[in-house]
Amino acid sequence: MPVKFLPDVALADVAYEATASSLQVLFEECARGLTEVMVDPKTVRAREKRTLRVSSEDTDRLLYDFLTELIILKDTDSILFKSYSVKLGKDGKSLVCAASGEVIDRERHDLRNDAKAVTMHLFGIRQEGMTWKATIVLDI
Amino acid sequence: MKSVEGIKQVSEVSWEIPPSFKQGMKVPARIYASKTLLENMDSGVFDQVTNVACLPGIVRCAYAMADAHWGYGFPIGGVAAFDTEKGVISPGGVGFDVNCGMRLIRTNLRVSEVRPRIKELVDLIYTLVPVGVGARSAQGFAESQIGDITSLGVRWCAEHDLAWDDDPEHVEEGGCIKGADIGKVSREAIKRGINQFGTLGSGNHYLEIQVVDPERFLDPELAKQFGIVHDDQVMVMIHCGSRGFGHQICTDYLRNFESGMRRFGIQVRDRDLACLPFSSKEGKDYYSAMVCAANYAFVNRQIIVNKVREAFQRTFHKEAEALDMHLIYDVCHNIAKVERHSYDGSSMDVVVHRKGATRSFGPGHPDVPKPYKSIGQPVIIGGSMETGSYLLVGTQKAMEETFGSTAHGSGRTMSRTAAKRSVRGSELQERMLQHGIYVKAATMDGLAEEAGMAYKDISQVVETMHRAGISKKVVALRPIGNIKG
Repeated sequence: MPVKFLPDVALADVAYEATASSLQVLFEECARGLTEVMVDPKTVRAREKRTLRVSSEDTDRLLYDFLTELIILKDTDSILFKSYSVKLGKDGKSLVCAASGEVIDRERHDLRNDAKAVTMHLFGIRQEGMTWKATIVLDI
Repeated sequence: MKSVEGIKQVSEVSWEIPPSFKQGMKVPARIYASKTLLENMDSGVFDQVTNVACLPGIVRCAYAMADAHWGYGFPIGGVAAFDTEKGVISPGGVGFDVNCGMRLIRTNLRVSEVRPRIKELVDLIYTLVPVGVGARSAQGFAESQIGDITSLGVRWCAEHDLAWDDDPEHVEEGGCIKGADIGKVSREAIKRGINQFGTLGSGNHYLEIQVVDPERFLDPELAKQFGIVHDDQVMVMIHCGSRGFGHQICTDYLRNFESGMRRFGIQVRDRDLACLPFSSKEGKDYYSAMVCAANYAFVNRQIIVNKVREAFQRTFHKEAEALDMHLIYDVCHNIAKVERHSYDGSSMDVVVHRKGATRSFGPGHPDVPKPYKSIGQPVIIGGSMETGSYLLVGTQKAMEETFGSTAHGSGRTMSRTAAKRSVRGSELQERMLQHGIYVKAATMDGLAEEAGMAYKDISQVVETMHRAGISKKVVALRPIGNIKG
């Protein structure tokens, strides 16, 4: 299971752990986890494509900034994405993401929680053998 | 009893953990709780409140109120005051939802008049107040206005016919905290916030039609001072904050503070306790941006109140003025403010952080508005949507003991996932209807997450704060209609 929700972490909020075979896919899984918190992705169509470019001082920060960018777009453009294709820069400090989704439709989308922010609590990327993992705690 | 080394009981409902508990503690940690609440308090509270006690420049005590539970860095239900020269300011001590708070308005309607039309009323409010994920404002403010709006708060609303004349004086700080500077707010925060004025949000935010609980009409004489004269009088309570505007400001500054701490050589026990000297440029910048968010939240709740007044007018075919829909009060419960307090025999300005805690200023304090000067500042404590809420007043003892602070709500005890596993939203909606509460929710999952069983017993929390003498019970309010974001 790429994204596992962690019910015993952060009682008032939502925590999940993403797992992937590569760092690039890990970024995509973390973004999918964020989508799952906000909406049932099955109800979102891939009608609009966006290209996101993010750069940061290190890979951990890059993930933090990438997820924050998705939260910002939810509020500024009312857009929720269902699929993500991430290309990481060689130094792990930048990425280009092709994201597909659509503008929020309150009639059709099965909306869930409004993510306010990515928190620093337990935040971080780690490698366990051949597997990449990240823990994300969202303020709700 | 939780096994906390050295904890000692200092009164029937207060406990102290001495500085010897943890290396680096500069002051004791004070916890307000009955024995039952203390036994059931999550262990994270003890760790976090003692971490706060280690922060530079903290004065007197780090506090956890009776509703305390684990939060990011500071516990929710946490209070800490810092010296303005030697102390720090911490975005984690305020929270992501800057000036999340409570607003209570009264009506002269009685439950017998409102209950037959509750569905019509709640459904209408639901159409007027955007709720849930992606909710957008119908206000149409321009980005060029946001500097004035967040600088003037409710005063801006009054100047633009968006508030009644007596609304501002019934808001903490008159609805306008001084020191805002929009130049310290990021472009992203402005873009997130500009379309969210007058929206409720989601999570634990709600708008509730309530009735005074006749069995807990606790102090009718004090209640009269708030215009509450009947034991079945209808009220409206609003719980929300600064929306994406405040969330982004907290995100931005938490990020800046981490690197800033290295420069100032500040080490903290938890990454979420990131802090910088209040007197530093970075500290002042955060304060100016945070004040913008606090004023945004006051305006947000004001716009929602206007919609509520409109809905009552349309439902009951009377002007809101004729329905006596005056604001009782509006309090912040996620905030840092510079306040003058007396401690150790002198009167000093301190930066009081209240994270999931409410100001509770006593009678006669200069910041208590004139109508309440003789009785103390109203304190609004919101409970779960099943169990109800309370109106209290601040006390002189709070001024002496807790930098004029008390609890803010019931405090969560169950995770969102566990709550959803325990009850389905549709079942809960039906159960609440059977108990006389009509609920309109943006999502059924969100509704299940906020079930009453997921929270502490609010009456125990309020009783503790009352017995501690740092706020005084006036009336209990129970819901008859609820809009859940």
